[in-house]
Amino acid sequence: MELAQFPWLTVTIFLPITAALFIPFIPDKDGKTLRWYALIVGLIDFVLLVAAFYLGYDFNDSGLQLVESYTWVPQLDLKWSVGADGLSMPLILLTGFISTLAILASWPVTLKPRLFYFLILAMYSGQLGVFAVQDMLLFFFMWELELIPVYLLLSIWGGKKRLYAATKFILYTAGGSLFILVAALAMAFYGDVVSFDMSTLAAKDYTVKFQLFMYAAFLVAYAVKLPIFPLHTWLPDAHGEATAPVHMLLAGILLKMGGYAIIRMNLGMLPDAHAVFAPILVIFGIINIIYAALTSFAQRNLKRKIAYSSISHMGFVIIGIASFTNLGLSGAVLQMVSHGLIGASLFFLVGATYDRTHTLVLNEMGGVGKKMPKIFAMFTTCSMASLALPGMSGFVAELMVFVGFATSDAYSFTFKLIAVMLMAVGVILTPIYLLTMLREIFYGPENQELIEHEALIDAEPREVFIIACLLIPIIGFGLYPKMLTQIYDTTTISLTDNLRSRAFASTEELQPLAFLPHLQAPELPITAD
Amino acid sequence: MELIEPIYQYAWLVPVLPLVGAAIVGTGLISYSQTTSTLRRPSAVFIVSLTGAAMVLSFLLFFSQVQGHEVYTRTFEWASAGDFKLTMGYTIDHLAALMLVIVTTVAFLVMVYTDGYMAHDPGYVRFYAYLSLFSSSMLGLVISPNLLQIYVFWELVGMCSYLLIGFWYGRDGAADACQKAFITNRVGDFGLLLGMLALFWATGSFEFDVMGERLTALVENGSLTAGVATIFAVLIFLGPMAKSAQFPLHVWLPDAMEGPTPISALIHAATMVAAGIFLVARMFPVFEDLPTVMTAIAWVGCFTAFMGASIAITQNDIKKGLAYSTMSQLGYMMLAMGVGAYGAGLFHLMTHAYFKAMLFLCSGSVIHGMEEVVGHDPLLAQDMRLMGGLRKYMPITSATFLVGTLAICGIPPFAGFWSKDEILGSTFAVSPVLWAIGWLTAGITAFYMFRMYFSTFEGEFRGTNKEIQTQLKREQLMAMGASLGPGAMNPQELTLDAEAEHGEDHHAATPHESPISMTLPLVALAVPSVLIGLVGTPFVNYFEAFIHPPSEEVEALLPWSEAFAEFEWSEFILMAGSSVGIGLIGISLAILMYAQKKIDPAAIANQIKPLYQLSKNKWYIDEIYDAVFVKGCRGLAKQTLTMDVRIVDGIVNLAGFVTLVTGEGLKYLENGRAQFYALIVFGAVLGLVLVSGIT
Repeated sequence: MELAQFPWLTVTIFLPITAALFIPFIPDKDGKTLRWYALIVGLIDFVLLVAAFYLGYDFNDSGLQLVESYTWVPQLDLKWSVGADGLSMPLILLTGFISTLAILASWPVTLKPRLFYFLILAMYSGQLGVFAVQDMLLFFFMWELELIPVYLLLSIWGGKKRLYAATKFILYTAGGSLFILVAALAMAFYGDVVSFDMSTLAAKDYTVKFQLFMYAAFLVAYAVKLPIFPLHTWLPDAHGEATAPVHMLLAGILLKMGGYAIIRMNLGMLPDAHAVFAPILVIFGIINIIYAALTSFAQRNLKRKIAYSSISHMGFVIIGIASFTNLGLSGAVLQMVSHGLIGASLFFLVGATYDRTHTLVLNEMGGVGKKMPKIFAMFTTCSMASLALPGMSGFVAELMVFVGFATSDAYSFTFKLIAVMLMAVGVILTPIYLLTMLREIFYGPENQELIEHEALIDAEPREVFIIACLLIPIIGFGLYPKMLTQIYDTTTISLTDNLRSRAFASTEELQPLAFLPHLQAPELPITAD
Repeated sequence: MELIEPIYQYAWLVPVLPLVGAAIVGTGLISYSQTTSTLRRPSAVFIVSLTGAAMVLSFLLFFSQVQGHEVYTRTFEWASAGDFKLTMGYTIDHLAALMLVIVTTVAFLVMVYTDGYMAHDPGYVRFYAYLSLFSSSMLGLVISPNLLQIYVFWELVGMCSYLLIGFWYGRDGAADACQKAFITNRVGDFGLLLGMLALFWATGSFEFDVMGERLTALVENGSLTAGVATIFAVLIFLGPMAKSAQFPLHVWLPDAMEGPTPISALIHAATMVAAGIFLVARMFPVFEDLPTVMTAIAWVGCFTAFMGASIAITQNDIKKGLAYSTMSQLGYMMLAMGVGAYGAGLFHLMTHAYFKAMLFLCSGSVIHGMEEVVGHDPLLAQDMRLMGGLRKYMPITSATFLVGTLAICGIPPFAGFWSKDEILGSTFAVSPVLWAIGWLTAGITAFYMFRMYFSTFEGEFRGTNKEIQTQLKREQLMAMGASLGPGAMNPQELTLDAEAEHGEDHHAATPHESPISMTLPLVALAVPSVLIGLVGTPFVNYFEAFIHPPSEEVEALLPWSEAFAEFEWSEFILMAGSSVGIGLIGISLAILMYAQKKIDPAAIANQIKPLYQLSKNKWYIDEIYDAVFVKGCRGLAKQTLTMDVRIVDGIVNLAGFVTLVTGEGLKYLENGRAQFYALIVFGAVLGLVLVSGIT
């Protein structure tokens, strides 16, 4: 068989879940065989993904690649159809990368290892599926499929309030996904053709009113996932109770599903409604940035602090999506990947710190830097990445969103001015909460009580390895962002072009969004020669 | 030419070499910490020689620029989205070449010095890695071809300062100081980022001269009002304000003294604070056509100069005194930029870099010597009330300190005289009021610097005086007690007496001169501190001919003999005479008060108590900021969290509760129990009221 025809995506999606089915039959006494098994499966899958990317993916093609389509229910035009364009590809690779590292991070798990690894592998499949499938109904299935493992992982291996957190998580997301189903059905049956295929749906010509309803429905579902204020309150609970590997997956991949879906559906399929909703998105993005940064600052629980910081960082994704510029959208995608890496690394380190101090309350820590210099160094580096230090991926992403939004011609000058100003407040707030956190954990005189009662050993090689794996792309993309942006550049360009040509088709000139006095970028009489 | 080109092609090595050093040693520390920590000398030699190589390369570039090589720029596409491109690269012009030389020489000497100063510190290797990273960021900053890249390195410099100030992370003071430095700088960066975005929006470019040109054109043809352009420029200026410690964002600088002394020398002379002045110089094309901005810069600089000097008078900590003096001198540089004296400002940046680096390294040498007597307690080792008479024990340190003091006081022919005089001269032409403040500040400077010199090096050695030691400790406890409340004092007082009894046995009775690795850099820095001013004399100003605003044409230099003949002596003598005069008055006062003790400083302090307290408490700025910003921010954050937990989450939980209850209730409803339905509604309303009532 030729390599180009090899069903890369189908194989990679089904490999983890199929492998998981064999877990009950693996002889394992001390729990060591299992974790190696899971790790190897994860690794093989990741290698396959990279191979698919390397052999079958072309940077210059803006459309779907690695497409496979098998008819499933012909009456409904329901197909098993997968494919990857510039938007899915980076996230698929990210999923493989983070999931494999999460398995390596689960080394200390001793409670019910069989079930644990089974669920982790099932989640691996579900997440890959969400990013790869090109059929609306399948998308809904995958979206739901990935909820169950998360629910169980939270409710069995979580902290003290795990049941509350897990229930809240499932109610929120399941409630949200109902909207997906309703909207998907409505869109599928709209017009003459009944189809669930995403590209067919994107090509349909909906009335503006219909679009607005669909947009709102999708937005509610994805706002829960991303999350967008005020639908974020499940996240601190879920993140606060999850164990480190689950935590890495939640922050690294699950949150990105919301952003991905907003770009794919809201922006890609409902352009007219996007033009109406965009200013609202910007406002919510700003609220996310500032509100979550402030709550994070006041939080005394380490896990919750980082959880709120995730919410704050997602604000930039929302604003990038609403910017109507290539650069802004590009920045939003970059921010998703970048936060996937940085968020995962921070949550992993929080877990590593907890394993040693056995407390998450900042007041009970202090001065542990002397005993754990490596963790201290890694924590500082990852915090720096999170506060968008240049040379790391977060900076490039935020900068692109900033520049993209500031140069956007879709908004009035005043609106942009205020919005950029408030976004920049986040630039001050982020270091405040992150550095205060470092100060309280590592700096200052040693906390005698902690030293006497806990064994504060420094990071082991496995932990250093995980962080190094995450830091290499973080720094790599920070130094040379083109490495990542070239993967999806053509796709974001065609998305933006499509959006702009359709959203602004009715009027010749761009109408400024947000009803404020309009001031366009001044034209220069002198032409640069 | 064939020989020159490769130097330019490989100019990127200047920042990359120290970076490589830092990266290798840093990786070693993380992966093989034990082995790397024991390889002290090899790591240090490795890093110092890489910096040395960068220094040699910088000198080659500098000489080539002096000989008139054209500006060399190389860029590559860094990030792109569609047809939008961001470029990075490097540019070597006169200003960049000069800065490269200043930064590499100071960094190299500081690194040599560090070997002696940090010899006994367990973090020796880590310190070298940080130093190297710091130099690398600063070198990257000065060769940046556009504003965006400057911003990148600007942030990196800030991050390095965070690491270095917090180097002794076990100390509370250091931990607070590094955080304060980073966050204060971020406030400045907030403005810089906004200004940068705004300028990009208006001009579509990040290049300095393009931005300046287009902005001027836009303002001229009326598509952008001068007011908006001014706001943009002021936003940009917030960045330099924080980095160069200008009022009101100066608060981090004195606290940064918590870091090891070599860092203070590097931050205060060549790297961090210089970055602000450098950025103003680079953005000169944007600033110069906006008179309001220029005036604002001049006033901020002038006020900072005065404020810094006024605080330095009463400081007893030798490093804090020098820190406020740095702030004051930076004010002079900013003042020069504001009045359009571009060359003069950068000239002062250069001379100040050398003599201030030397002064800080001298203070480090003094502290190193004092630690032998009083132990490793910064409270005692850095307080000038315990010093005195050190000239006998540390002749090289005291001689070089004296050279630095004379230079900063503006006594001819030392370096500081020429640069400060040029600034004051240019200021007088623009605004006599600004000049008067600057002139007065020069007098205060001379006074506090000689106060420092006399209390440290002349008179009797007071280091073994137990009474003063105890008094100092008590003062510190009082200050701590004030912040912790009266109850916190007692246990500490107990430890104080216990420590005093057994702490002194193994200490020496007198301090000693520092080792050669520390004194050698001092002597090396003394040479430029004396001589470098001569390149910028008003008769034949080589410096000005080399460094001038891009928009300005400078006439060819006359030979010395003609220059002397054509020079307007009367004006020069008047200006120089008045500034030397006030300097001498300051010095005389210091001699009377601290050398001959004919006037009692304490009596004067008592007479003008409010002023004395204002100066001693640093104009209460820290207290004000603490009350307004720190407390305000914490309060706001706390309220937001409360709101999040109570209201946002509360409503969600309530919604869940209501659905649950109504689900149960529906059963009853179907049975016709309408009262129960009403009860649920009542319960829900009650719940809402309760939730909103709690918050």
